[in-house]
Amino acid sequence: MVRGGILVKHAAFNTSLLQYLACPLSKDPFRYCEKSQELVNDSLGVAYPIIEGIACLVPSRGRLIEKLPEDPKPYPDAGK
Amino acid sequence: MTLASELGRSSRCCLSRVGVPVAAAQRLATRAAGEFSASGDEVGDKNADVFDRELKSKQRDRAAWFMHESDPILDTVTENLLDRLEDCKRMFPTALNLGGALDHVQRMLHGRGGIERLISMDTSVDMIGRSKRLAAMDGVTGEEAKRSALENMQIIADEEYLPFQAGSLDVVISSLGLHWVNDLPGAMSQCRTALKPDGLFLAAMFGGETLRELRIACTVAQLEREGGVSPRISPLAQVRDAGNLLTRAGFALPTVDVDEYTVRYPSAMELIEHLRSMGEVNAVRQRSLVMSRDTALATASIYQSMFGESDGTIPATFQVIYMAGWSPDISQKQPKRRGSATVSFQDLQTAFPPDAFSKTSDDPKSTSTTKSITELASESKERERTGHNESEETSRTTRLPSGSWFKLD
Repeated sequence: MVRGGILVKHAAFNTSLLQYLACPLSKDPFRYCEKSQELVNDSLGVAYPIIEGIACLVPSRGRLIEKLPEDPKPYPDAGK
Repeated sequence: MTLASELGRSSRCCLSRVGVPVAAAQRLATRAAGEFSASGDEVGDKNADVFDRELKSKQRDRAAWFMHESDPILDTVTENLLDRLEDCKRMFPTALNLGGALDHVQRMLHGRGGIERLISMDTSVDMIGRSKRLAAMDGVTGEEAKRSALENMQIIADEEYLPFQAGSLDVVISSLGLHWVNDLPGAMSQCRTALKPDGLFLAAMFGGETLRELRIACTVAQLEREGGVSPRISPLAQVRDAGNLLTRAGFALPTVDVDEYTVRYPSAMELIEHLRSMGEVNAVRQRSLVMSRDTALATASIYQSMFGESDGTIPATFQVIYMAGWSPDISQKQPKRRGSATVSFQDLQTAFPPDAFSKTSDDPKSTSTTKSITELASESKERERTGHNESEETSRTTRLPSGSWFKLD
């Protein structure tokens, strides 16, 4: 957006913040996922969005990540 | 948003204390009144909150656009707060800027305290956007070399859920940001955890006397027109609570001081306008959502008649409590262990006999009676060793509370 004639570009997330930031609920450090633009707390399974380069670490904005389903076990007599 | 929700007032003096008792009282009052909060679907402990945090962030969003570049109150308070950084010999490379007067801190820092990285934090998106634009403007115009040398980072977070690793920050600065926090002891305790050992916590918040005149005018007007009162001015911490808050959060060497500023406005409406532009409008959950025009006008006129100055302006008091605390560290001074004294009180009486002070300074006798503390200590040790009590004679004299000596026989 433009204010006072200065255009502010949406900067990328500043990764040097990662050494300071932690999950607001459990205080665990984050893993930065560049593809989905989220800060992920693996121990709790919560991901916080990064909007326009600014991390949004309010607990109500956290998204629970679902675990990937494991390979379904074959039936005992599948091959027969 | 109606005028009602923005005109702040409170009648209950007991609401002026922030802490668990208030929350419990609010919970009971809320259930009794059958009120439902603006956010609707909060469950469990949320009803115990005194302040509606979502509403506060929306109000701050709006204030971000209203706020002027320089605001007299915010500027003065921020300047006083940042001045305290210069009193410290320590350098603080990483600083956290908790919401409130965010961009005022950013703008007025000027590299004080050796701050290299400033992380600005607020729940409101627009306030953070404002802070980002300020940082960008400095980079483009290159105004001051000192200011652009500061690395600015922004995050959106809630003060009650501080998203920082333990021992990661050097200093936490909060300029008028903590008086809308529900769980203040918890928030300060999380700040202490996030600070490195020997880290500094500096905060300025509004005290109980703030907007005293407005509170009185609103109460009187409401009693007259509506026959009842509802909280309009948020409960604010008292000065005596500030020290307890710091020690409860676990800070060492706590310091609290108070300043009162009186600002004059042409009328009550300008005061409300100013409060709105600072984002300081009412966000108490229990507030009444409706206010009639009659009551609003009555408030303004009562304010004018009760507190109006001779030139037609009205004063408004802003009491600011400045708090400072250090996170515990072994390098800080600790009280000595009990029983480690080397000098007894009796030695002090020998060193400073009652008539030593009445003599003039150039009297040769007086200088001989005053001995240094180390000499006394060595003397007392010798006495113990030889077993000879030289003060046997003086033990017969005792000192009365009035200071005169009385000889026992």
